[in-house]
Amino acid sequence: MLRFSARRLWDIVFALLLVVCLALASRWFEWSFRFSVVSLLSVLLVVAWLIVSGWLPRHFYRDVVFVKWLAQLVALCAVIFVLVFLATQAESNLEAKSIQVGYDFLDINPGFKISEGIDVDPATGGRALWVGMVNTIRLAIAGIVLSTAIGVFVGVGRLSGNWLVKRIAGIYVETTRNIPLLVQILIINAVLVSLPSLLPLTKEEGTVKTGWMFISNKGLAVPRVFIGEGFYQWMMFVLLGVAVGYGVKHILQRRKDKTGCETYPVIGFVGLVGFFGIIGWWIHPMFAGVGSVFAVLSSFIDSRSPSDVRYMVSALAIVLAVVVIVWKLRMHSTPMGLGKLSENDYFQMIFAVISAGFAIYLVSSLWPGLASWIHNSTRDLFDLLADKFGGDRTGQPIDAMRPNIEQPGKFPNYGPSGLNFSRGLASIYFGVVLYSAGFIAEVVRGGILAVPKGQTEAALAIGLRKTTMLRRVILPQALRVILPPLGNQYLNLAKNTSLAIAVGYSDVVQVGQTLYNQTGRTLEVVSLWMCFYLACSLSISVVVNFFNLRLKIVER
Amino acid sequence: MPPTVNMNALRIIEYDDRSPGDPSTRSTGLSTVKWLRDNLCSSWFNGFLTVLSTGFLLLVFRSLLNFIFSEQRNWAAVKTNLRLLFVHAYPEEQFSRVWVSLGVIVVLAGLSLGLSARFPAIPLRRIGAWFTTSGGLVVLGLVLMQPSQPSAVDGNAAMSERYLWLSAGFILIGLGAVFSSILKQDSRGRVISVAAIPFAFAVLGVLVAGLWLYPWGRFSFVEGEYLQEPASTVAMSTKIPWMVMWLLLVLSWFVGSVLRPTVISRILRLSINVLWLLVPFFLYWVVLRDPAFDWTHVWSVDIPLALSYAIVGCFVLWFLTRPAAGEFERIVAVLLLFYALFNWVSAFFGWHRPELRIFSYFLGSVPGLQNFLDFLDSVPVLQKERLTVLFLALAALLAHYFRGATAQRLRLISGWFGFILVFNYLVTVVNTPSTIETPTDNFIGGFSVTLIVAVFTLLFSFPIGVLMALARTSRMPIFRLLSTWYIETIRGIPLITILFFFSIMVPLFLPDGMDLNEMAAIIVGYSLFSAAYIAENVRGGLQSVRRGQYEASNALGLTTGQRTAFIVLPQALRVSIPPLVGQLIAVFKETSLIAIVGGFDFLRIADNVIPTQSEFVGARREALLFVSVVYWMVAFSISKYSRRLEKQLGVGK
Repeated sequence: MLRFSARRLWDIVFALLLVVCLALASRWFEWSFRFSVVSLLSVLLVVAWLIVSGWLPRHFYRDVVFVKWLAQLVALCAVIFVLVFLATQAESNLEAKSIQVGYDFLDINPGFKISEGIDVDPATGGRALWVGMVNTIRLAIAGIVLSTAIGVFVGVGRLSGNWLVKRIAGIYVETTRNIPLLVQILIINAVLVSLPSLLPLTKEEGTVKTGWMFISNKGLAVPRVFIGEGFYQWMMFVLLGVAVGYGVKHILQRRKDKTGCETYPVIGFVGLVGFFGIIGWWIHPMFAGVGSVFAVLSSFIDSRSPSDVRYMVSALAIVLAVVVIVWKLRMHSTPMGLGKLSENDYFQMIFAVISAGFAIYLVSSLWPGLASWIHNSTRDLFDLLADKFGGDRTGQPIDAMRPNIEQPGKFPNYGPSGLNFSRGLASIYFGVVLYSAGFIAEVVRGGILAVPKGQTEAALAIGLRKTTMLRRVILPQALRVILPPLGNQYLNLAKNTSLAIAVGYSDVVQVGQTLYNQTGRTLEVVSLWMCFYLACSLSISVVVNFFNLRLKIVER
Repeated sequence: MPPTVNMNALRIIEYDDRSPGDPSTRSTGLSTVKWLRDNLCSSWFNGFLTVLSTGFLLLVFRSLLNFIFSEQRNWAAVKTNLRLLFVHAYPEEQFSRVWVSLGVIVVLAGLSLGLSARFPAIPLRRIGAWFTTSGGLVVLGLVLMQPSQPSAVDGNAAMSERYLWLSAGFILIGLGAVFSSILKQDSRGRVISVAAIPFAFAVLGVLVAGLWLYPWGRFSFVEGEYLQEPASTVAMSTKIPWMVMWLLLVLSWFVGSVLRPTVISRILRLSINVLWLLVPFFLYWVVLRDPAFDWTHVWSVDIPLALSYAIVGCFVLWFLTRPAAGEFERIVAVLLLFYALFNWVSAFFGWHRPELRIFSYFLGSVPGLQNFLDFLDSVPVLQKERLTVLFLALAALLAHYFRGATAQRLRLISGWFGFILVFNYLVTVVNTPSTIETPTDNFIGGFSVTLIVAVFTLLFSFPIGVLMALARTSRMPIFRLLSTWYIETIRGIPLITILFFFSIMVPLFLPDGMDLNEMAAIIVGYSLFSAAYIAENVRGGLQSVRRGQYEASNALGLTTGQRTAFIVLPQALRVSIPPLVGQLIAVFKETSLIAIVGGFDFLRIADNVIPTQSEFVGARREALLFVSVVYWMVAFSISKYSRRLEKQLGVGK
């Protein structure tokens, strides 16, 4: 039943006014404008009708839920509008400048060489980028190891009882933290440039000279430990040892818990792994047959077509979406039936469906090359594994060599036997490591200080030795505080390796820059950079989160 | 339990940075020996560490001194290029603009210092310790340093210089001893202290006076020969301006501290804070850049446009803040917002002022009005008009809070009027070309550009970051999802890739007729990057706000906006001050990345420009050392100040 209060009258007048506007507007404007106005006004009309007929509350626009969703949808539309606007602009501008778009540059010869890396003369653009990525990953992992070591050392030094050590550590931290990383890298580079150059070898020395360490304006050379031919087979042995050791440790631990007798579970575990490692050193070639298993897998994948991958990805997406929805529903189900779902749950379920649909659309029609790329790279991965575990690899698992200087022609240079840091690599590596170590030291110090004093006093009061106290009381609690910011520092370190471009080390940014200077595909290279660094960040945070969960206090 | 507790084990864990045995807290000569025993050789391992680290320290100190005072160092490369390092190619005859900018900053800083709470006094004993330490370092350095090979000609000069340094070191030690032993207490046993700010001013004054006494830094050369004119040194040409700066600082501090207890101090402090926000824009675009106004355009378009929008806005806001305002006014505000957004949509589709046609249909018969509408139709829509309408819509949404008393309404309206005038002025200035002519793209470079980029990045990224943090912690899923994606994506990729992207790609994304200076593009990219980090810092603060605060404000009947603005954000921002200052330092340090993407910033000049000058080929290490010392001083003093601020605000208590 309709009741015409003053307010409802006002609503209707408002709606009528809009209709009049609609009618008038449709007379003057071109089609697209008229269309948008007509659709907008018809929405308004429908809403007005819904109000008048009582379906919608009269002041629905004062309802919190409505306002929230309207604001969000408007914001989403604005973001999409801005993105579409930018994309159309870029498209027309690129067309006007006749710049091509696409990722085909990854498959053609880049036409440049890379100064150092796993492949100094890459055949394709994609390969060149891959060399840069490997360089970045190496730099990041080696940097994380060394900077953690230095950082822990300095951080503990800042808390030392020795006044002088404390001050030196403090000066180190304040210096490295307050000078920009780029300046530090450039200073190290400038110092390396000013070092004397390598002396030409004399006649008695011949063309090769071996030593323990060389440093010159060509960089640094130190002894190298590297994985030999039989490393992967040996690693299988060690992993087997870990598995066996884990089981044995479990048994020993249970017996210890049951009887109270000391059974040394940790020592048993380490001993077993060591035993397997030592035995495996000689008998690892017995695992050589594993390679053929991988070869069979690879040929199986090769026999399938890329469209199988397409179906598999689609099926996976659908399964994942179903799992999310079922999980959501189950989480809210009560013995009485389905409980109340919140707005957020609905949103997540809708989002799961949308993203599954998008994934299917992506592999099936938006980017058909993706499926064949996944197909090829999986096959290549198994090929690689088949090669690494191949039957003919029977050498030592691990080997070491001293650096040498070679002089093939007139000028001496570092030979391949040592671990050579070229000038660029040495500057970026030590720059990043020393810089991060300052921050890690502060993290470590903060973590140790965060352990309440009462814990130490209690540990001393029950008569623990100093080392036991450190191991059992302070470190476990400090680690819990240290780990999240430490993970952040690792992420920063990985990202900071991108400054290698300043000293000419071929990391992914430097190679990418050379690539887009050659091909003009800036947008594409930037998108690959982003994907690569996001993947790196994600993997580091996954690892850190894993340890973080392990260390978390188990609460009731 | 063992009879004695190992005190070293306890010392691993200390709450305070300063141990009980710190020299600044020891009192008598007897305890010095005890202090040495406790802190340097309490066990054989500790003694071993002491010997080792002493050797290490002496070695580092000696090699640093040998590097700095080596005959092969070309420090003239830095002294001669100071202008290049700080302002790059800014024309010399326009230098007064730089000094004026510095003066404005100095006056504001002095007033702020004077108006803020009193700084703690420094005990004379600690100043004495500083003196003794620095004197000791000078003497130790003279002993350690590799003696230079005195040539036959100036061997005596070298020796006398050595004696000069030695006596200076001993004088410093003597002064320190006097301060820390005789003058540390007055006759009644109270500790004598010096107020921090006057002491700092005195130190600055001594530095400035040094310019008058020692004319260092020859800065011009012709064909490799230094000009011998006495007036052409850095010290000679800057001593008067620096003197003026120092006097301005002291005077404004004095004025500030006189005004502090008075009634106007609160309003003065507020206006100075607003000025701090406006000053970067004003100094950069007006004072330093010296825009060449096209006055006919300004009088015929810019001023009428700004005034008409300001006045029309005033009427709209006056109407919307009527005491009886209610539902209708809110609908008008929302429609205004939609109209403001629609402006961009119509620009995207190329519709020209669609609303005018509706007016002309209804009001076309009014005499003269049709002509006016036709005139409006012929004028292109400026971007700043669209922005102004958006601001008007936002002000209209806020108008609800100001309705009622005339004083309140007037406050909103005057705020609107002032804001629109300032906004239009700045937009006009930004769109006007500069008159400063330099060989490079950007009219200023060096340390100035480092500072400018850092300041603008912080100014722009802070509001974006706070909004992102609010969105990420809100319960609205789309907002949360958008901001989470944004923040995590940006935080996952290095700054240098973003800077490359923005410095190269921005022209591609802009519509016709719009262009962005490379430096501006870099600032935009850098702000978007920094905003993600600021958002995370602010989010930490937001999460620390107790739930009771939300519940209490809901119980009081505050709206979501009021709760956020007056209850949640103030508490959250207070907690996130330490990480925000950390972000400030990071932003300042990482401006050095501009050097890689091709801007002439502080680092680029030291690393690329100076070592390629024919007079100073390869003087890279000297320049880099100087640059790093400057960066260090700025970053270190900010972090020191932030620690003080933390204590003052009682964060974590």
